[in-house]
Amino acid sequence: MSNEIIDGKARKVLVDDIDTDQIFHQSLLTIHNPEEIKPHIFGNLDGYRDFGKENHTDKILIVGKNFGKGSTRQQAVTGFLAHKIKAIIGASFGPIYYSNAVNAGLFLVEVPKIANFSIEENDELEINVAQSLLTNKTRGTSIKCEKIPIPVLDIIKAGGLMSLGEKM
Amino acid sequence: MVGSTLIEKIIRKHTDASDEEIYPGNIVWINLDLVTARDYAGPQVIDLFLKHYPGSNTFNNNKIIFTPDCYPYGNDPKHVKDQEKIRVFAKEHNIRVTDLGSGIGSHLLFRRGFSKPGDIAFGADSHYNILGALGILGQGAGDVMLAFAFKTGKSWIKIPETVKVKIEGKYTWPTTSKDLALYVLKQLHEYGITGKAVEFYGETISELTIDDRVTLCSLITEASGMIGFVSADEVTAEYYKQLNIDIELLSGDENANYASELTINVDNLGLYVACPPHPHNVKPIEEVLGTPIKSIIIGSCTNGSASDIHEAARVLKGSHVNPEVRFGIVPATREDFVEINLNGDMTVILEAGGNFYGSGCSTCAKGQYGLTGGETAVTLTTGNRNTQGKIGPADVYLASPVVAAATAIEGKIAKPIIKEMIK
Repeated sequence: MSNEIIDGKARKVLVDDIDTDQIFHQSLLTIHNPEEIKPHIFGNLDGYRDFGKENHTDKILIVGKNFGKGSTRQQAVTGFLAHKIKAIIGASFGPIYYSNAVNAGLFLVEVPKIANFSIEENDELEINVAQSLLTNKTRGTSIKCEKIPIPVLDIIKAGGLMSLGEKM
Repeated sequence: MVGSTLIEKIIRKHTDASDEEIYPGNIVWINLDLVTARDYAGPQVIDLFLKHYPGSNTFNNNKIIFTPDCYPYGNDPKHVKDQEKIRVFAKEHNIRVTDLGSGIGSHLLFRRGFSKPGDIAFGADSHYNILGALGILGQGAGDVMLAFAFKTGKSWIKIPETVKVKIEGKYTWPTTSKDLALYVLKQLHEYGITGKAVEFYGETISELTIDDRVTLCSLITEASGMIGFVSADEVTAEYYKQLNIDIELLSGDENANYASELTINVDNLGLYVACPPHPHNVKPIEEVLGTPIKSIIIGSCTNGSASDIHEAARVLKGSHVNPEVRFGIVPATREDFVEINLNGDMTVILEAGGNFYGSGCSTCAKGQYGLTGGETAVTLTTGNRNTQGKIGPADVYLASPVVAAATAIEGKIAKPIIKEMIK
């Protein structure tokens, strides 16, 4: 995977400090089926309440800093996998969210200065994993990502931590 | 050349990653020396293992232990079924079980020599980092991480920054290591150690017993830290010698890349109490003297050792527990229970009006309301959590075994007065 390129169209939700209650509200915690979680994603985030009902297949989600702070709920990760979002790029992620996402096979990329990098809705993006580089192909600009740690790549490639264990 | 912090040294010995990959913020694969699970989360680990790896063996049955300790009284039929699930799986996979009454898993790891300085041990317990008191990298982990570890013996870890904390100064009884721990918790919470490792140094630390070090390191979780380490020194080596285990001394390098350094002075430290609703809401006892208390527990991985119970016995000798108070003692391990039988402390406390429960976790584990009581049962425990509603429905205070015993006599938060001194 270290040679791989991940590409997709941008979907911006460039808001800082989105917590897990805004991603998937606590009143819904008895729901565990991915397809049922899907329509509720960002259902409690002003300006993005219809996000869950839209099609985001193969998109790359752009978020701000400290994304996913708050509770340990796994649904806040499962929902994005159900939407078939290829990766989430953010300035930073809450530590528990990061761990939950990686273990479930959701690809997170940290770009500390993402807010200063020009991206418009549906711009064609490309993540070069080996070079830790994010490129906006529509605008011909690039910015460095944080280096993606080897275990994270191993887990994402296998489709999650439990799946990786099947091969070990 | 830049030296290494203690955690960097331990990780380096447990990873195939290169030296260049060992730096704060990076994530590396590590090989675990020991993986444990208990009656909380253990059943979920088993379910995940059976679902994803049907028919598989574990990576090494000798490196896995089940330590049911969370619900020592099986006070809900669900707990009993969960504990049964552990026994059945363990028998099938030939895995050791330290069953109910053996004690708190994290303590058994050093009490019985299952783990030694320089090792990495993961378990489903957010206080596994108390093992840092012996120079062991102990970490709490979730059920997915543990199920994966059961199969592979591996986990991933984010290498933390380390804060070097020097403790200087001397304090005398009735101040004990719990007051030290509460005071340091307050300082570190204000300083900010979220996600970071701490290494404790200084003469004050070198002179602490293993039990005292465990108490100190047990409150790092409450300051949102990853782990607090005490170097594996002569005290640690002497402790393991009694278990017939030779250890290598272990500390961080003088020239390691510490995130910051901090000195905390504890000269003439007084008595401290953590007040509702957070462990870090630490106040000098003078601010809360006289607060009525209905329920008192001595126990937990923070202060459930024989030495802690001994501190309480010193205060209770020749006195009686206030009739308004229910006073329970939960020894951390069976070894502690035996010790207080042999040295007479148990008799002293029984005669004073204390009530003993089987070894294991006490109030911190979810749902042990039977230990604390209802809405009117304002509680004081020697444990590590007082978050509203977690321990019981009423307010909860945290203090040392000395303060707990004095409070048991008075029926309100009190300083100790000794009638008959025992050593």
